[in-house]
Amino acid sequence: MNVLIVEDERALTTEMELFLQSNNYLCETCYNGATASEKIATNLYDFILIDLGLPDYEGLDLLKEAKKHNPEATCIILTARAAVDDRIKGLDLGADDYLSKPFSLLELQSRMQAITRRKYGLKNAIVALGNFNIDLTNRSISFKDIPINGITKKEFDLIAYMLLHKNRTLTRSQLSEHIWGSLVNDDYDSNYIDAHIKNIRKKLNAFDTPDWLETVRGLGYRININS
Amino acid sequence: MVIVVLFVLLLPVLIKDINRKYTDNWLHRQKDKVLQTVRSQGIEKYIQNGEGFGSYNALLKEEYVSMDVDSVDRSLDTIVNERRLVEGDTIQYRILSHNFRIGNKNYLLEIGKSIDTINETTAPLQNIAFEILLGMVLLTILADQFYSTYVLRPLGRIIRTKLIGQKFPSRTPYRKVLTSTTDFAYLDISIYKMMQTIENTFQKEREFISNASHELMTPISIMQSKIENMFGRDDINDEVKERLLEFQRILNRLKSITKTLLLISQIENEQFLKEDHVKVADLLQEVYDEISIRLQEKNINCEIDVPADWELEQVNKFLLFNLVFNLVNNAIKYNKENGSIWIVGAKVDKHYILSITDTGIGIDAVQLPHIFNRFKKFSKSLQQDSFGLGLPIVRSIADFHRIQIEVESEVGLGSTFRLIFPDEALKKEK
Repeated sequence: MNVLIVEDERALTTEMELFLQSNNYLCETCYNGATASEKIATNLYDFILIDLGLPDYEGLDLLKEAKKHNPEATCIILTARAAVDDRIKGLDLGADDYLSKPFSLLELQSRMQAITRRKYGLKNAIVALGNFNIDLTNRSISFKDIPINGITKKEFDLIAYMLLHKNRTLTRSQLSEHIWGSLVNDDYDSNYIDAHIKNIRKKLNAFDTPDWLETVRGLGYRININS
Repeated sequence: MVIVVLFVLLLPVLIKDINRKYTDNWLHRQKDKVLQTVRSQGIEKYIQNGEGFGSYNALLKEEYVSMDVDSVDRSLDTIVNERRLVEGDTIQYRILSHNFRIGNKNYLLEIGKSIDTINETTAPLQNIAFEILLGMVLLTILADQFYSTYVLRPLGRIIRTKLIGQKFPSRTPYRKVLTSTTDFAYLDISIYKMMQTIENTFQKEREFISNASHELMTPISIMQSKIENMFGRDDINDEVKERLLEFQRILNRLKSITKTLLLISQIENEQFLKEDHVKVADLLQEVYDEISIRLQEKNINCEIDVPADWELEQVNKFLLFNLVFNLVNNAIKYNKENGSIWIVGAKVDKHYILSITDTGIGIDAVQLPHIFNRFKKFSKSLQQDSFGLGLPIVRSIADFHRIQIEVESEVGLGSTFRLIFPDEALKKEK
């Protein structure tokens, strides 16, 4: 997968590049709109990540160009500007998603994967975890062939997120940012993640021990898949 | 209006008074005429052989004149209403009595006019006066109407289009109000200029928020990415990762505060649209789903009782969700284990009120006026993980929607937050 990162903040670009490379993406970076415009016109990308706050270029214009020269590419807008209008404009112009800074790199990858799944209509999105089968398309869990009822939306979101970032320890704040990110509230360190995990374990334990769901002491949680 | 009513009420009295004065004048004139005659032609013209003189209109007895020798020595000159017996008829007269002396004799002159006759003229007079008055009132109303519909029409238009209809940010260009009056044109352009100033201030603030947001969020974003990347590395041991976690926690705190402050500024800068329809019951269900894990943790019972058809329009769903979420979240946070929360929607005196009642620690009366202030923290809330922006968000979202908030609280027993929705937010029944 080819990714073009258009972001004028070099330190952030480096981190995004590092992260995506470690997840097997091929990255190209550019720090200004002019170079980005050239690259977009000559190369083909699977993903184009556009920062709206470029010093030399109107980010939304770049989006238009991307839609013209790279119609297949998935465009994600990144912005630290707070204007509510921008979001609407960006999505109107054909952006596939919109991430407000500061965002978690895990969240970025999760969005990229979700769009890919949507675009290419990946049918076989069933992952086997021990004796459990996680169906990411229909958002359901079954034990062998028995469907497990009573898993809430939030609980499934957590499992899917950890599954996406399998074999990687996710901290409580990363998990809560994923499932409560859009909420604006007063708590900065409320940990209801533990309660959710406890519930998930309880529901799954009725069938089998979900030994693939690991609590990493002092750090967070992780889903282990050996493959 | 009051003056007109007063005038109409006083009219009979006034007319009567005028009429009486007129009658009295007439009586005096008659008296002078008689005395003139007496002086020039002598008293004998009227009184001969000591016999009194009397004259009245034969048929109707409307007026009469009498003169007689007066036995009593007095000086009389009065006008009073009295009864007189004239040819078997008792008639109420207005009588002028005058006493005069000729030679060594006293005479009494009486001139009378019947009250009925006087009243006969009073009634038509009153009518005429009333009709004139009515005419004048109608004329005034017509003149007013003309004045306000024609002459003042531009003023109404200025108020409607330039003041009431004004929205920020305004995207329509300036259009002159049609008027030939210089003063109105001046008013129009002055209002336009004033609005322009406000608009510019809004715009500047908007830019400031956007820039501040960019300047604050970018470094946070870089730090967050760096921590995440380090956290994912296998060559860093768990002890270091635990410290990174603390770092992440602090960064999250900074992020939340910045996000919240920016949100408040955005709301106050009217950057959100109010175009959503929201079924209150659905909204509460969503909040409930979001928050149920927190209820479960403290084993709090939460009851929702809201009419199913209660619907809001021209609101911002995202903001309303956050408003209710924060209130319910507080109701949980400051509640005791096994406590209760009641969320009730009811119509009270034409107003729709949503109240959220908890069995929590309550708020001290001294602190109550300050709970909506930013970064205000109280001893009891210090034990909680909060930075004192929950209620300020609630307040600014409520203000943005013109929702009134009332708070009642008793320490140790709990608090009730009441949201009073404005009429315009309620979906009108079709």
